[in-house]
Amino acid sequence: MLLTQFSPHSLSQGIYEEVLNWARIITPFALVFSTITLLQTHITRIRRQTEHWQYSFLVFAGIAIMVVVGIPFGPQNPVFEWLFNNVQLPMDATMFSLLAFFIASAAYRAFRARNLEASLLLITAVIVMLGNVPVGDLIWNKLISLTPWADTYPDGSSWMKQWILDNPNLSARRGIILGVSLGVISQSIRIILGIERSYLGGGD
Amino acid sequence: MELFGIWIAAFLTLCIYSFLYKDNPFYRFAEYLFVGMSVGYGIVLSYHQGFIPFAWEPFTDVFTGESLFGLIKLIPIGIGLLFFSGLSSRHTWLIRFPSAILIGVGCGLAIPNVLRANIFEQTRGTIEPFAAINAGTLSGMEIFGAILMVIGVICTLTYFFFSVEHRGPVKWVSKVGIAFLMIGFGSAFGNTVMGRVALLIQRVDFLINDWLGSFGALF
Repeated sequence: MLLTQFSPHSLSQGIYEEVLNWARIITPFALVFSTITLLQTHITRIRRQTEHWQYSFLVFAGIAIMVVVGIPFGPQNPVFEWLFNNVQLPMDATMFSLLAFFIASAAYRAFRARNLEASLLLITAVIVMLGNVPVGDLIWNKLISLTPWADTYPDGSSWMKQWILDNPNLSARRGIILGVSLGVISQSIRIILGIERSYLGGGD
Repeated sequence: MELFGIWIAAFLTLCIYSFLYKDNPFYRFAEYLFVGMSVGYGIVLSYHQGFIPFAWEPFTDVFTGESLFGLIKLIPIGIGLLFFSGLSSRHTWLIRFPSAILIGVGCGLAIPNVLRANIFEQTRGTIEPFAAINAGTLSGMEIFGAILMVIGVICTLTYFFFSVEHRGPVKWVSKVGIAFLMIGFGSAFGNTVMGRVALLIQRVDFLINDWLGSFGALF
């Protein structure tokens, strides 16, 4: 995969595409194997009758319904689409929206301005949250209308949010991305050279 | 059927929100069903968008006489089947072959792509505004932003640079890096909160308008 990046020749690109296709073929087998492992876990739960073991049947039912409809008829099948739109999608959105409540309590703990760093976190988060909603600009415009600069800085809340996102936030993200990328490259080289073999389960 | 779908979706939505009171059988019902359906959905997509177009169709072309090239697909299919050796304790070591191939492909893809997209492009994006400063096309605020960007990137990288002890000037540079990181985390947190709240608004909107609105069609 690495060597093909240095040659634009059709043979090199053909090899690149074929190896990529091999990975695409092998991946579904990994998913099926992991599903079998999940089923084994739930079968064990049912056999041992551990706490809430009855609900394991729902996992089987969920997998069976989607597979029985989806595998023979495809993901464009109306029944499969109905199941996705009316069962899976609402549950997915609700599960994530549930975090809105828990994130509020997390925010209380994170946003206490105990030192300079926590204060920066608090101020930035408040500006970004206010800048994301129209009421943020409404508050800003009401406050700025009391000063002589009423017409100079309209919609300052969303402007400040965008400036923070484009400048200090982006510079921190770039620093993290550069650091993580250097780590990914060094780890990849270690794996390719056989120095790092822990993924094989050898323990070294 | 549409009305039935709305009622099913509303029931499952309320089941999940019941967790706000405490863990209960309704929440567990929705939770386990969600896990099962997500896995099933993943299998279906993986089968129809991975296995069928990249393995099965080229392989069946061999029998229709279109191309003999499909025979080569037997190799990745065979390698993929080795995953199931994990079900036998005696042959579980065979699982290393497909794992090693997938990780090898991942590493081979990661090095050039990460270099290109995450290192060269991000570095270019950081220093590129200075060409515009030289050309005199940036405003004062944009020049300030460009300088702040370079300072932020250097300070953040210094904070993650553990090969030198963080003492003296390095300590202060890394402290500035922490400040930039806190601003980054704060904005990420703010965006996450707003994203989750937007999802909550969407679900409440569904319950009020679609579900409660459907009562009129029933009664």
